[in-house]
Amino acid sequence: MAWTSASKLFFVGRSLLNGLSNHGLGLWRTSHEITCSSLLSQQQRTFIQMRTNLKVVDNSGAKRIMCIQALKGKKGARLGDTIVASVKESQPGGKVKKGDVVYAVVVRAAMPRGRCDGSEVKFDDNAAVLVNKQGEPIGTRVFGPVPHELRKKKHVKILSLAEHIA
Amino acid sequence: MRLEKCWFCSSTVYPGHGIQFVRNDAKIFRFCRSKCHKNFKMKRNPRKVKWTKAYRRLHGKDMTQDSTFEFERKRNRPERYDRNLAENTLKAIKKIDKVRVEREARHHAKRMKGKRAKEQREAAKELEQSIHMVKAPAALQQEPSLTLPKIKVKVSQQQLEENRMEE
Repeated sequence: MAWTSASKLFFVGRSLLNGLSNHGLGLWRTSHEITCSSLLSQQQRTFIQMRTNLKVVDNSGAKRIMCIQALKGKKGARLGDTIVASVKESQPGGKVKKGDVVYAVVVRAAMPRGRCDGSEVKFDDNAAVLVNKQGEPIGTRVFGPVPHELRKKKHVKILSLAEHIA
Repeated sequence: MRLEKCWFCSSTVYPGHGIQFVRNDAKIFRFCRSKCHKNFKMKRNPRKVKWTKAYRRLHGKDMTQDSTFEFERKRNRPERYDRNLAENTLKAIKKIDKVRVEREARHHAKRMKGKRAKEQREAAKELEQSIHMVKAPAALQQEPSLTLPKIKVKVSQQQLEENRMEE
């Protein structure tokens, strides 16, 4: 089965961009993957843990945050969980500055999340919305799709600001 | 509960199956199984992948326009539950499926019409042209009456085999 993967990787790798996330095939973490990783990144999507960079999708002023701690869960945060993060990159005139420690809610995660009807949802990237200690968003707008898992986690305000609920 | 369509192969996704991928432009892609999902990740165009419904409809292999498809349109207004309505709908679904299957069979038959005649013509032509491969011309000339009708059955099989071997 390994040679089929290698031939497939070579055949397909040219057209595949690195940005496109790939899930699965975690079993074949052999030398093949290391040599062909430049052509095709077969990543096993995992939790949001320490040092994970997330995109900020509200207008609070931050652009990128790095997770310091996932508040719930031993292995890390998933879709809909809150995290503690440090702002790594921010817009010049925003409410938060670089180096601030903030709370954030994960609104998009590349790792598939099981829904109660048995299907799975996954997004294209990891994104978060900055939040204060009480759970209210700091910004006033949210960009991009958000999942309706947030309703169960009582982040109703974020849902109301969202432009599209997945 | 809603029965969705797989984005890649257009088969129905029942509850509990499949993966939903939400792109950042808020477009949702639903897949019925990992085969479709992996093909999507490879950026394959379903219109070019032979086993998908998109390909078959595009190339005229399956029916495209039919009144039975009108019944399956997506409706966004929820209906109040009515037992009679539900019963009648179930009966109607069965009937509509039967009608659609019959129409598809007819479409397939129409598509395949003329295949047998074409095969016969091709076999006869092969017989004329390539009989020297089976029996030497000298032998044929000796017994012309016996060769053609007698060998006809055998030759067509052998010819087909030879064709296959040639290919």
